[in-house]
Order: sequence, then structure tokens, then C-alpha cells
Amino acid sequence: MAKEIDKQEVLSELLRIRLSQIIVNEIYKKGNFKIPIHLALGHEAIAVALVQVMGDADRLILSHRNIHYNLAKLDSLKAHIDEYLLKDRGLAQGQLGSMNLTDEARGIVYTSNILGNNLAVAAGFSIANSIKKQDGAVFVVTGDGGMEEGAFYESLVFEKSNALPVIIIVENNKWSLATTIEQRRCPIDLRKLTGSLDVPFECLFSNDTYEYIEHLTALRSLALTRKTPVCVEVMLTTLGWWRQKTPDHPEGRFINYHAGPSPSVQEGNGPRLADSDEDPVFVMEKYFDKNTIKELGDRILSDLQKETA
Amino acid sequence: MKYVEFINQTIRKKILEPEKILLYGQNIAAGSCLSGLTRGLEVKAGRIINTPNCENTLCGIGFGAMMNGVSAIFFMKQLDFLLLGIDQLVNTYNIVRRKAPTASFTIFPVIVDSGYEGPQSSLNNLGDFCSMARIPGYTINTQVEATEIIEHHLISPGFRILGVSQRLFKTEIMDLAPVAMNAGRSLFQYSSGADVTIICHNFSLPYGLEFQKRLLEKGVHPSLFSVNGAMPISWDEVITDVSKTKKVIVIDDSKSMNPSWQGMLNILYVRCRLSKCVLVQRSFSGYYCRPQHDQLEIDYERVIGDLKF
Repeated sequence: MAKEIDKQEVLSELLRIRLSQIIVNEIYKKGNFKIPIHLALGHEAIAVALVQVMGDADRLILSHRNIHYNLAKLDSLKAHIDEYLLKDRGLAQGQLGSMNLTDEARGIVYTSNILGNNLAVAAGFSIANSIKKQDGAVFVVTGDGGMEEGAFYESLVFEKSNALPVIIIVENNKWSLATTIEQRRCPIDLRKLTGSLDVPFECLFSNDTYEYIEHLTALRSLALTRKTPVCVEVMLTTLGWWRQKTPDHPEGRFINYHAGPSPSVQEGNGPRLADSDEDPVFVMEKYFDKNTIKELGDRILSDLQKETA
Repeated sequence: MKYVEFINQTIRKKILEPEKILLYGQNIAAGSCLSGLTRGLEVKAGRIINTPNCENTLCGIGFGAMMNGVSAIFFMKQLDFLLLGIDQLVNTYNIVRRKAPTASFTIFPVIVDSGYEGPQSSLNNLGDFCSMARIPGYTINTQVEATEIIEHHLISPGFRILGVSQRLFKTEIMDLAPVAMNAGRSLFQYSSGADVTIICHNFSLPYGLEFQKRLLEKGVHPSLFSVNGAMPISWDEVITDVSKTKKVIVIDDSKSMNPSWQGMLNILYVRCRLSKCVLVQRSFSGYYCRPQHDQLEIDYERVIGDLKF
């Protein structure tokens, strides 16, 4: 039976992950991090939903842009920042930094910054589960760049051939490094591609965390009962882009940062970054009035500032 | 008994030990079962899988299974197919190596050194793969090497590559009694003499035995070593021997331009006051990748003459 959703708790988590990233961004802007960090502003809905849906025996495998999932799993922002600062008291004792950050105690068992690399490892985790007769799904996160790699197709074929309940989350922000999908390749219809292998597929695009929880709960159940991989494409927008004026682009060149800080995001401006459905925080206004969100956000920000002071 | 039969028999015995294990690869339980290498595999519990053709993913699967507590062996028909899995060999292993796994992952490729394969299958250098990420790797020439290396390394926790020689598959396996072997089973000594030290790398032990035979006929007493570790090892036993003989014959039948014996020779020159050193290796003039035999062409008498006994 599906777990009852505590809507207030989910909102709190969404705001905590958003505001935690905004604090990380402020430190990043000061040049205090030597390592690359890939912020995931705008990606929070799927991360909160996935962590809500994960069972105790489930495992999560991530990619280079993993801050939202790691924060959703561990509510110590300081442990993350210390790791990014490569301190001994960091989440991984300063040995992993950001792009390979794992948290095995909380089910994040492997993280790879090589596109497509983690998909194969997820298949290995899942087949080990089947050999151990151990329940649990394996969630693996990739992107619209990672799914271009051969390993995406290879691992899907292997998982389907061996009846492995792997849930592949494709975060599609339409960008890979500095190119849009249109600039680098033909369209890939994931519904048709996965359909050709009889792999269930669903596309999520509302940025509504509650809807995502419902859909992921059903898809996880489907993967476990039918013993099949499932592919979920999540359409989203990486928020915090800006325009850079140059002699060649006096009107401002559009910058969708890959790694690095976002100069357009300011800590004092609150958690909401866009007045549209592109922002999962904005979507929450369907369920809560603005003042409730603001007051909760202020309280969470204050707690985070105290924690990291 | 033929080389491939003995190795198959040794593997079959060892894989019955673990409570659960994953054996996989292309055609490992079909057709000729990799020319007999994997014929008749049985496990106590676990799975034996004929896989699709997806080497990159198959390497990642082994790491994933190992991280999830299930030992895995990936059998490969050709070492050069492993080029498709280099990302996993390097990038995934560099994450995994900081862990203390309870399970193992072994890649067991056939090294195609039988010749006449053509330009794209002329790679026979296990050491080149291993050196990219300091991967433990071992080659097998004789019965005792097969027994000891498979016993010590096939399912020991951690990752390694064990290579066998296609050229030796249908030959009678050498049954030699070693006078010594090191703890890591990366160095076997088959005879001890006072006049010259023969050091065989990769699969060159048969050439070393021919040198030994001819030297003994001339009343010259050699020491004979087989270096089975594909990565640089502790050379203490070799240093002790060469300090006595002052003369060495180094044989390498790989095509590597990055062999571990280069470092060994530097040490021997410095530590042992070598009076004479003869290298027996391939000539790389011309288009060396054309279909041709893969044997070393050795003028034994000239080499022995060069040593000036």
C-alpha cells in the first residue's frame, strides 16, 4: 500500500534542497571551492520524490550532477560543504568531492561523472540483488547527454534480458555542456526506443513533486512486480542561467552553466527562482499560499545559515 | 593434458567454492564455450549467463555485482574486446579501489597471440591494460601457475585480470616444478643456476625453457624465472639471483611499448652490476600489424654467443 504523503514535509524538503544549493552557490561565487560542482537548481522535484519513494532495500546510483539527491538523502548541509572543501570531516572525508560523491549508509552506492558509466554499474547491482534473492529496486540517474552513450542501450538490453528491476531516471534539461539537444543531435524518442525493448516508459514534466511521488511509486511497483527495467524521462529546466554581454553578443549571450556558480542567483531573494512551472517551488503555490512558503523558507534558511556558520 | 583443459578444470573446481557467484560473458555456455575455456561450468548458487555483445556494460556489471557483495567473473573471447570497456576498467576501478570489498570481480580474457588475426586483433599486451589503472593482472603458462594463480586470485576480494594464451590452448600444458614463487603469485622461479638469469615475461616461458636446454647442453647453468604479474612487482628474488650471475636474458613476447621489465632492468643495472644483458623481443619495423604468425623469431645460438660464457 502506498505511503501517505505528508505534503508539508515534502514542501520542507523541497525548500531545504533549494536553499542549501543557494548557500553552496554563494560560497562558490567567492571562489572557495577548488573542485567543480554541478548545481541542480530546478531539478529538486524529482530528487525529493525519488527519495520519498525509495524503499529500505533500494539503492541509488548517481551522475556528476548529484547535489540534489545527496542533499535529499542527508540533511546535513555542512557535511556536504565540508566535502566540497575537501575537509577530513566531509561526507566522504574529502576523498570524493562532488562529482563522485556517494553516501553508502543512505543507499547512494555509486556515483560517476563519466556519462553512461553508472548505467552499467546499476545493472551489476541489480543482478547481484537477484542472485542474493534480495528485494529492492536500483534507481540510476542519467541525463539527456548520458542517454546518448552506447552504455544506455547496452545496459537496457542487459537489464531486460535478465529481468532486472532498474529504474532509469533521465533528467532531460536539454543541455549537455554548452550545447542544446538541437545543436548536437537528432531527436531521440525514448518512448519508441524503450518500447522496442518492451521496457515501460513514462515522461514526467509538471515539476509537481507530489505528482512525481505518485508516478514513481507506481513505476517502482511495476518494476518490482514485473521484474523489468523502467525508464522515466523527466523534463526540467536548470535554473540560474544568465546573459553575458560580450562584443560579439551586445544583447547578452545566453549562459546555461554546466558546472560553476550562478551569478544570477542571490541568497537574499528567497527560494523561488522563476515565476513559471519551470520552478518546482513555484509549482508548490498550487497547494500552499505564498506566505506559508515564504515563512517556511525563511525558517529553513535561518536553520541552514546557523548550521553552516 | 592440454593447456585449455587444465585451466578449465582448475576454474571449474574453484568456482564451486563460493556460496553464490555470477559467471558471464559471450557464449560462455554455448557453442565451443570459448574454445573449451568455459565448458561445463557449474556453480553452487548464482547465475551463468550468455550475454549480449556489450563489453563496456559487461565490465560495469562486474563492478556493480562486486560492490553489492556478489563475486563475478567475466570471461572474454579476446583481450582486445576489452578495449570497449576501458572506461569501466579505469574510472570505475578508481572509485572501487578505495573500498574494501567482500566480493571479487575478475575479468578472464583469452589473449589472442595465435597470430594471423589481422590488424585489429593484434593486441596481446595484458600489461598495457593493467598499467592504465594499476590493475593487478596475471598471465598463466604452466600447471603450477594455473593452480596457484587461480587458487589465489580468481575469487579473492577485489578486482584483477587473469589472462590466458590462445597460442598455448591446444598444446600440452607445461608441468614444471618451481623452486620458488612469491607470495603474490606474480613470479615463479623454475631453476637456480650460477651463470645466467633468464627472465620470461607475458607468455614467453617456452622460449626461456629452450634457452635453458641449450645452455645446459653447453655446461652453462641458468636460473629461470617467469614473471606472471602484468604490473611491476617487487624484484627482490630476481635481484638476489642476478647479483650472483651478473648476466641476464630478458624475453618478452608481448607487443607492448610500456613493459614492466624496463623498470626492472634499470634496477638490475643499478643494484647488480650487470656485465651482460640480452633482450629478446619483437622487431617493430614495417607494418607489424599485418596478418602473420605471432611467435618470436629467436636465433638462440647467437644470443648465447653474445653472452660470452
